[in-house]
Amino acid sequence: MSELLRTPFPERAGAALKDAFLQQALTIATTKFIDMRRAAFEGFPQGDALRDRARGIKEATLQRLDHYLGQLADNVERLGGHVHWAGGAEEAREIVLRLCRDRGVKMAVKSKSMATEEIDLNEALEAAGVTPIETDLGEYIIQLAHEKPSHIIAPAIHKTKGQVAELFSRALDGNFAADPEVLTAVARKVLRQKFLQADMGITGANFAVADTGTLVLVTNEGNGRMVTSLPRIHVAVMGMEKVIPSMTDLMVFLAILARSATGQKLSSYTTLVRGPRRLGELEGPEELHLILMDNGRVRQVAGPLREALYCLRCGACLNVCPVYRQIGGHAYGYTYPGPIGILLTAMLKGDRSVKELAHASSLCGACKDVCPVRIDIPRMLVELREGLDRGRIAPWSERMVFRAARRGMQSPALFRLGARLGRVLQRPFLRAGRLRRLPFFFGKWTATRDLPPVAARTFSERWRELEKP
Amino acid sequence: MTTRAEFLGRVRAEMAKTDGLFPAAPSPRPGNPREAAETVRRQLAERWPQALDRFRVEFERVAGVFHRVPSLVELPALLARVAAEKGAREVVGWEARAMGWNLSAALTPYGLTVHPAPAGDGDEDRRRHREDAARAPLGVTGVDWALAETGTLILASGPGRPRSTSLLPDTHVAVFGPAHLVESLEQVGLLLEALHADGGEAIRGGMINFITGPSRTADIELTLTRGVHGPKEVHAVFVDALDGPA
Repeated sequence: MSELLRTPFPERAGAALKDAFLQQALTIATTKFIDMRRAAFEGFPQGDALRDRARGIKEATLQRLDHYLGQLADNVERLGGHVHWAGGAEEAREIVLRLCRDRGVKMAVKSKSMATEEIDLNEALEAAGVTPIETDLGEYIIQLAHEKPSHIIAPAIHKTKGQVAELFSRALDGNFAADPEVLTAVARKVLRQKFLQADMGITGANFAVADTGTLVLVTNEGNGRMVTSLPRIHVAVMGMEKVIPSMTDLMVFLAILARSATGQKLSSYTTLVRGPRRLGELEGPEELHLILMDNGRVRQVAGPLREALYCLRCGACLNVCPVYRQIGGHAYGYTYPGPIGILLTAMLKGDRSVKELAHASSLCGACKDVCPVRIDIPRMLVELREGLDRGRIAPWSERMVFRAARRGMQSPALFRLGARLGRVLQRPFLRAGRLRRLPFFFGKWTATRDLPPVAARTFSERWRELEKP
Repeated sequence: MTTRAEFLGRVRAEMAKTDGLFPAAPSPRPGNPREAAETVRRQLAERWPQALDRFRVEFERVAGVFHRVPSLVELPALLARVAAEKGAREVVGWEARAMGWNLSAALTPYGLTVHPAPAGDGDEDRRRHREDAARAPLGVTGVDWALAETGTLILASGPGRPRSTSLLPDTHVAVFGPAHLVESLEQVGLLLEALHADGGEAIRGGMINFITGPSRTADIELTLTRGVHGPKEVHAVFVDALDGPA
């Protein structure tokens, strides 16, 4: 990932735009997701009311966050689990590594978890001599390819079946056909053995119910069930904002999560984990560890990105975003792509890390429309841009242009002068009524799109003429 | 290392800055979950036939295979037929007291080898059980609730009800009756609240699974493929005369 970030965002985006397969894959995938989501909500009239309720639950949870986190920890411990508190990514990694060291863990099977992606856990495990195995098929593919997920719920949508066949053939020493059925069967066979051999299962959590101490995993493949049933240790790494008060609340979220993500009524498996293996049970881990992670989240409880703490990680806002649909997940350069990804990146890595990405949005508002908890992403993007300007993080040229525009719009005299000046200055660059190529840094704009020219007569000039008797 | 007190202290410090800025409307919860759950059960004692129709439609929509038999008398032949279709000679299953009927007694006459969950939970029992479950192509379980709205089978783990019976075999068959049917996720929420009331003393296992169709993935070029890790097929057998929750 760090390598990727050495190229500036416009170049990363440019490369994505030139990748013909990626373009086709993105169009097909995002269109399909949009259609499935729309169909799911069309047949579900109570959906809108449930979305409001879900948003209300997230808001109410933040209002008593200390209470719910304490209650969750108490209940997990009462059931025999261990709770760890992690300030940052480094600390979260260290907790997992220490558990591996102390318990002689050689191999860990993982179910899909953005929280462990966020802290680069796999790299840390490998460096410590522990083999992490991603078991979600998409994650397994990108692990073999040494890449990062390009979509929150479909991590390998940028790969062709031919590329997957090649990866599998090389890694598993075989010769496999480029057929999803065949390749899925291969993964089933290989990963089944890993589930049975591994010492540790690592997961994230979609929700954690404070009232009962229950961790909730939503998956389609069944790997979430495997890693929480078969290895002797289960470690769950969870952003602290995933806590919800009650089972009643959980049902509200379940009703809208899968519909938003894949258009299913429910995903194939919803797994409620309540402590380690109980007396008389044949399966389940002897030990359960929950790592509650801050990593930039807590300061947003009172920060400008507070609403981003409601996010369920469903991926719906990626699919509808005109920018994501063009450039895909990798061009964003961080763990979380898409409109919400820009906000989450700012949350985890600071505003400075998104000085370019903050502009990778047309502010069309489609993300807000589809968000199951109605997060006002466009508003926060605008505020983020404002903060970048105020904090002098934005480039000088950008700040100057906006400052000039603000001054001009605040004073009618200046505005009139500007319009008149613009009309004269633009003359050499006008081609068939459009501004197609401008000099200096204005050229960056016209390199990819036309700039509408200053009108021959402004609105107020025309208004004055109309008012004449 | 961050302690609980430090972590929650930071949370409280941030919360203090937002005092009065946001509306705090706690979400409604049942006042007496046990009573509410009883009401749901009473309603369903009347309404289960409609719930069953809906369950069947939704279950088949997620590629589930639905069967219905009048009583436990017809069940063994049906299970034997499914086993034969799948070429299964070995079967793993929940213990008799977890299902309300005996799997070994039902299937042994058909020449099938049945491995019921061992009664003990010692290391040897656990090892043997895991080998059986990993090898057997067919797993038979009861259910706790069958959710009509989404075609979902809900199974709680516990003694005699291993987690893997519905996970490791290629085919999972779940047997249920009228008393297991519920209509909506909202009702499941009520039943779960009731189950967890008083610290959840009534719960004997560490896991509850909602199973909605077979294991599936669309991770390669969005091509829907079944049976990536869990079962490739899920069957639900409704027995009209199966009494009481398993």
